Amino acid sequence: MSLLDGLRHRLRVLTGARRYARELDDEMHFHLALETMQREHAARGSLSATDAGFAARRRFGNLTRITESSRSMAGLSFFDAIAQDARFALRTFRRSPTFTAVAVLTLAIGIGANTAIFSAVDALLLRPLPFPNPERLMKVSLTVPARGTDPARLDMVWSYPKFAAFRDAQQLFSELALYTEDRVTLSGSGDAERVRGEIAGGEYLRTLGVHPSLGRDFLPEEDKHPDGPRVLLISDVLWKRRFNANPAVLGKVADIDGKPYTIVGVLPPGFRGLSGRAELWTPLMAYPAEELNEAWNHSFTLIARLRPNVTVEQAKADVPRLGAIVDRAYPHPDRPDERWGAVARSLDATRVDPMVRRSLLVLLSAVGLVLLIACANVANLFLVRAAGRRREIAVRLAVGAQRGRLVRQLLTESVLLAMLGGAASILVAWWGVKLLGALDPGSALRRDDIAGIGAVNFTTIHLDARALAFAALLAIATGVVFGLVPALQATDPSLAGALKQDKGAPRDGALRGLTSRNVLATLEIALAVVLLAGSGLMLRSLGKLLGVNPGFDASHTLTMRFNLPREYGRDSLPGFYDDVLARFAALPGVTGTALIDCPPLNGGCNGTAISFRDRPPVAAGTEPDIGVHWVTPSWMAMMHVPLVRGRYFDRGDRSGVRKVVLVNQAAARKFWPDEDPIGRPVSIGQGGFWKDTAFVVGVVGDVRFNSVDSAAVPDAYISYYQSPRGSMMVMLRTAGNASALRPSAQRVLGEVMPGAPIYDIRTMSDRVADTLSYARFSTIILALFGVVALALATMGTYGVISFGVSQRTRELGIRLALGAPRGELLRMIVRQGMALALAGAAAGIVVALVATRVLRAFLYDVLPSDPMTFGVILAVLALAVLAATLIPARRAASVDPSETLRDG
Amino acid sequence: MTRSESSSKSELLKGTLDMLILQTLTLQSLHGYAIAQHIERLSDDVLSVEQGSLYPALERLQKKGLVTSKWGESPTGRKARYYTITASGRKHLGKEISSFDRVLVAIHRVMRQA
Repeated sequence: MSLLDGLRHRLRVLTGARRYARELDDEMHFHLALETMQREHAARGSLSATDAGFAARRRFGNLTRITESSRSMAGLSFFDAIAQDARFALRTFRRSPTFTAVAVLTLAIGIGANTAIFSAVDALLLRPLPFPNPERLMKVSLTVPARGTDPARLDMVWSYPKFAAFRDAQQLFSELALYTEDRVTLSGSGDAERVRGEIAGGEYLRTLGVHPSLGRDFLPEEDKHPDGPRVLLISDVLWKRRFNANPAVLGKVADIDGKPYTIVGVLPPGFRGLSGRAELWTPLMAYPAEELNEAWNHSFTLIARLRPNVTVEQAKADVPRLGAIVDRAYPHPDRPDERWGAVARSLDATRVDPMVRRSLLVLLSAVGLVLLIACANVANLFLVRAAGRRREIAVRLAVGAQRGRLVRQLLTESVLLAMLGGAASILVAWWGVKLLGALDPGSALRRDDIAGIGAVNFTTIHLDARALAFAALLAIATGVVFGLVPALQATDPSLAGALKQDKGAPRDGALRGLTSRNVLATLEIALAVVLLAGSGLMLRSLGKLLGVNPGFDASHTLTMRFNLPREYGRDSLPGFYDDVLARFAALPGVTGTALIDCPPLNGGCNGTAISFRDRPPVAAGTEPDIGVHWVTPSWMAMMHVPLVRGRYFDRGDRSGVRKVVLVNQAAARKFWPDEDPIGRPVSIGQGGFWKDTAFVVGVVGDVRFNSVDSAAVPDAYISYYQSPRGSMMVMLRTAGNASALRPSAQRVLGEVMPGAPIYDIRTMSDRVADTLSYARFSTIILALFGVVALALATMGTYGVISFGVSQRTRELGIRLALGAPRGELLRMIVRQGMALALAGAAAGIVVALVATRVLRAFLYDVLPSDPMTFGVILAVLALAVLAATLIPARRAASVDPSETLRDG
Repeated sequence: MTRSESSSKSELLKGTLDMLILQTLTLQSLHGYAIAQHIERLSDDVLSVEQGSLYPALERLQKKGLVTSKWGESPTGRKARYYTITASGRKHLGKEISSFDRVLVAIHRVMRQA
């Protein structure tokens, strides 16, 4: 009880410090008033009210001391001191607005940038997945052993028959489901539109722990057999956009890729599937049975929720055994000795691509360095100012101020300043988060070969309470970090000698301050060198990537895809495309038209085996790999892919005549190192080119189909008219701006196929830029940090040199008076700055050589120790420091000796 | 914060003052001035100290949870803070008095033998 009463009392004092202090005051005055009245009354008029008041006060004791003693007993004196310190600090800030502005700005940039990057790290790496018990969710993948030069794969997706074998053998998971991303054309009730969706197994939502907000989930009986009922779940967004949030949407029929689906449920707001952008979900079992039952149609990701009594470790240990069961059920038809397996990982561990994770950690370290530099800079400012306040502090120490009290006061100043910086940093962070979202490397670069869960991406970054708490914590921590050393140094009792000194000549104490300022400036330069080295390397790598010749000319080219009309069979497709291309060619400004199945730099293009009919056959399954691309004859010339030998395709290469292929230089080098490939007979495992023999008729330049930074691999081209294929990408070359062609392209297509949506309509230059978006993202941010670091370090150097000059004005005056040439003084000051730069650069380079190794995975064709980059950043640094030194140096050289000597 | 030369005296008085306040409050809830008056009257001004030193003592007792306070109206119509002894305050007082009695008896015995 007593504990509770006491606590309640303390809480009341704490929460209402000001009110409580007033109450104490009231109470004592009440006491005095009663005592005065009492005395007046007792004296029966012989005592004046004033005298009675005095007597009462004497009887009461020293009011001020008693009040203080009561307040300190109540714990209020602590607040008094803080409030007093804070008021004093604010007064000091008002007196030196420039100092305050520079310090607050520096801290705002440092803390704000950290908060922005923290938001990204928090959203992408730290925060749990937005599903119930996310730690119980796992992703199961197939594994493929290494083949020749191809490394082993640990993340192979599933086919339905293999999944069924796995599901029937396992005891680990309570729910498990396949899913894959899909793009479909949605029509019926409104215009046809192209939307992203997911094809999901019956237990997909139950695995994730998501329930429809309207209607129902897929039913277990709908999940039994292929060719199951066509039911449809839609996202909240689609429901509101297309169906006006009408609850009567349940039971309605929507047309998806020409097939009727019945809407049975609406999913909760915010849920967009694991892909992060699905608008509708179709059942896996509505997928065409012949494709679903194909054991080698590896298209689906498998997610699963652990049974309550199974641990993550048990699942990881048992899944490989299940993988072996699946492998026995479906051995590889061509490679009977190859053993596939299965592996389980926590879904959370696969949430972002490993490269994204690494680059975020690199950015986090970089931004931490920026904050360190900012702290060093502000600490330097404080040291400079403390030197200016030496006399004030010495006087206060001399008249008996406790050192602890002075340190506390100086710390209050620095923490208060940091908190001002922290408040201003919210603006910086807000802007930074917007920038991160805008630069989002994932949105442009979401391809099959980018791992990770789409639901976790850069657009989910927000400046939320967690980020703000982080900023506040950082502000207080930085306030202590940059404030403590200057505070301790400034109040060093041995500095009391400052009282005796005249103000012009610094002695030991001030010199010591100068030394720590020099150390701080050197530290700043060293850290800036590390950051500059990192961003310099990234910039150089980006420059090299931009300079890579992808093997084709991307300018003035528009690309697009569209759905094929259902009435065309495979053999009538060339006629259809001919018609469409002729209409496009008739558009004004169009100079060329072509088709290709998979555009350059797309990644995930088709590949197969190649065999050589004029050489002894090799064992089945050991044939070398080759990429295969279908093109119309016009494609090579239109994309400016150079012809090295032989000829391009022409319209004569059509079905029914001798089969021909083109190969690229990489293929020619690898397969015919010392021979002429022209006329060689080959078989290619696709497009009906395996049983028949095709002849190489030409060698063309290498085109990078995968990405800018992966070298070309052996590729073969097949003429579209010789082996027609399903949906193709249309490419148009124009005389002028390619994107200006979009409206007329859309119109032309509307004439051929009313209502069919065009999709993937982008200029080829945009596609090239998108493949570099990731490299550009990290590079821009790192470069930004590098620039900020350089600016701060330059400011820091300027501060130190400039303060040194102002402290030495007298000495400089004397030197001049004694005949020192002004140029010599200028050189002396510049030498000082350069000494700082040299020391900082030397330390920085040593650290940078170690630190930049973590960048190796991000660099294209640049060594982490690239001498050229290091040379350039050192030159930049030298120039910046020189500029920072020249201003105070010129001031030093223009000192007027007569004035400085008289001032003393 | 307390001056060092008076500390031994105040240490001695602290315990006694606390005991007197608690004893006073066993009868009824009182405001600070009334507590001071009551102590002075009962002790014939022998134990009188600076009246003001009452307030830090009251603060200390509240912190220990031996006394609670509440604002109320005094008979003259002014707002005043009224102090009330808590259950643990009474228990504490009982212990203090018995140990005080033992000391007094001991002192008495010693003085008589001398």
